[in-house]
Amino acid sequence: MAVTSRLVPWLLALAAGAAAADEGRASAWWEQLQGERLQIHGFASLTAVKTSANRFFGDSPDLSWNFIEVALNASYQLNGRVLFAGQVLARRAGDMYDGTPALDYGLADVTLDETPTRRLGVRLGRLKNPLGLYNETRDVPFTRPSIFLPQVIYFDKVRNLVLSTDGVMVYGETSTGYGDLSFTLGGGQPVVDENLEWAFLGDDLPGKFIPRGVAWVGSLWYSAFQERLRLGLSGFTSVLGYRPGVGLDLGAGETAINYLILSAQYNTEHWTLTSEYSRLPLEWQDYGVDFPYRKTSGEGYYLQGAYRVRPGLELMLRYEEGFTDRKDRDGTRASASLGGAVPPSDYFAKIWSLGVRWDLNPHVMLRAQYERHQGTYTIAARENDPATLVEDWDLFALQLAVRF
Amino acid sequence: MIVHPGVGVTAITTNEARLYLTMRLKTWPNGVPVKVFVLPDEDPLHRRFATAVLGLYPYQLRRVWDRQLFSGTGQAPTTVASEAEMMRRVAATPGALGYVGSVPADAPVRSLEVR
Repeated sequence: MAVTSRLVPWLLALAAGAAAADEGRASAWWEQLQGERLQIHGFASLTAVKTSANRFFGDSPDLSWNFIEVALNASYQLNGRVLFAGQVLARRAGDMYDGTPALDYGLADVTLDETPTRRLGVRLGRLKNPLGLYNETRDVPFTRPSIFLPQVIYFDKVRNLVLSTDGVMVYGETSTGYGDLSFTLGGGQPVVDENLEWAFLGDDLPGKFIPRGVAWVGSLWYSAFQERLRLGLSGFTSVLGYRPGVGLDLGAGETAINYLILSAQYNTEHWTLTSEYSRLPLEWQDYGVDFPYRKTSGEGYYLQGAYRVRPGLELMLRYEEGFTDRKDRDGTRASASLGGAVPPSDYFAKIWSLGVRWDLNPHVMLRAQYERHQGTYTIAARENDPATLVEDWDLFALQLAVRF
Repeated sequence: MIVHPGVGVTAITTNEARLYLTMRLKTWPNGVPVKVFVLPDEDPLHRRFATAVLGLYPYQLRRVWDRQLFSGTGQAPTTVASEAEMMRRVAATPGALGYVGSVPADAPVRSLEVR
């Protein structure tokens, strides 16, 4: 909480300062500092979370202030072909992340070919995975549709599984009379952390997941009618090897992960309608006879509507459902296989969300969100004892975010 | 639309205008890097320009810029406070691209036709 109490006045001061500053003079000075090629941007957010039961991003049954994001990025356009960019992100998220700053992305982007009808390029370094509509900028409050992304697809309990890749990506785009078609294809090593063990094994055991071979990521997007309609297909495939610690009953297993997301979005002046559908098949091998899972087929989908009442004021309504295994949607089989130690409702989630976004000015945003939950599939085992989870619960969150 | 006098282009298509403004086309045909200037999102002229010339709503442009800016895949345009500043900055910056309501005959910029 020490970090929080230090950050609150700082955030408020920044918000007030941004609103009241002599915009013209300050921005002229800031631009001069950066010159024509360098751009420096950043953001910070502070969120209060209250739940009726179950811990989500900290001690939310009591009111949690443990969701804080602070980031700073710089990009340098060397010439028309080469761009360097990097961002450092400090993220505190309940028991899942402690706020230690880390490299979010750091890359060199080279344009290989560019004409008014097509572009081709390559990126090298730590790259955000272009999965779904939101993964690349999932930690930027201003680009999210709500305080929390739809958790059945953009899990916060295992965000690092599909967050970024250390490797290479090729991208291309072509404009035709029928719309724009773009693709990304990349390979490398996924950036994983110990939240993976909590999500996959239910505990932080004395062992480690290590990526095996090359992980592949790709996306294909079609947009038409002045980008009113956007359709996307994106996916990720990887194998993680588990190296068990000493004195553990688990074998040196291997988990194959495939992630596929179908996306659709339609934009009008006042409305944005969004829907995504995901499949997450997991295969578990060689973990030993005591390990309960062999093959699960995760599934998640949501339908979301955003309505812009006027510039700077937006309302959002969303319904989402997610399942650990689409062949066991009510979780009864999975629960029985553990002798009922984990209730069936931990294997699914059905969530209604209602949100409001208010942009006070281009630098300051306030948000509120209410969620009605059935099931605890989206809750982190790291933050809760599965046996004490409550099936029906509510969440209320307030967020202040600033950017420059 | 207006450009720096050194940009050797007098007309572009709507699609090209959209690609330049979303920072996806980064160089002019003569190889000079494009430097885009825009008015604030809520400015009435920005709104008119985005919808009438590009066929995009201001929130769509902001979304594209933010996605590029915060994923390291591109940069965002420079926001200026007024049309007068737009004129001054475009005239002073090689490769600059911007827009104003009307271009005076003696303006130090060149107008760019969008077809």
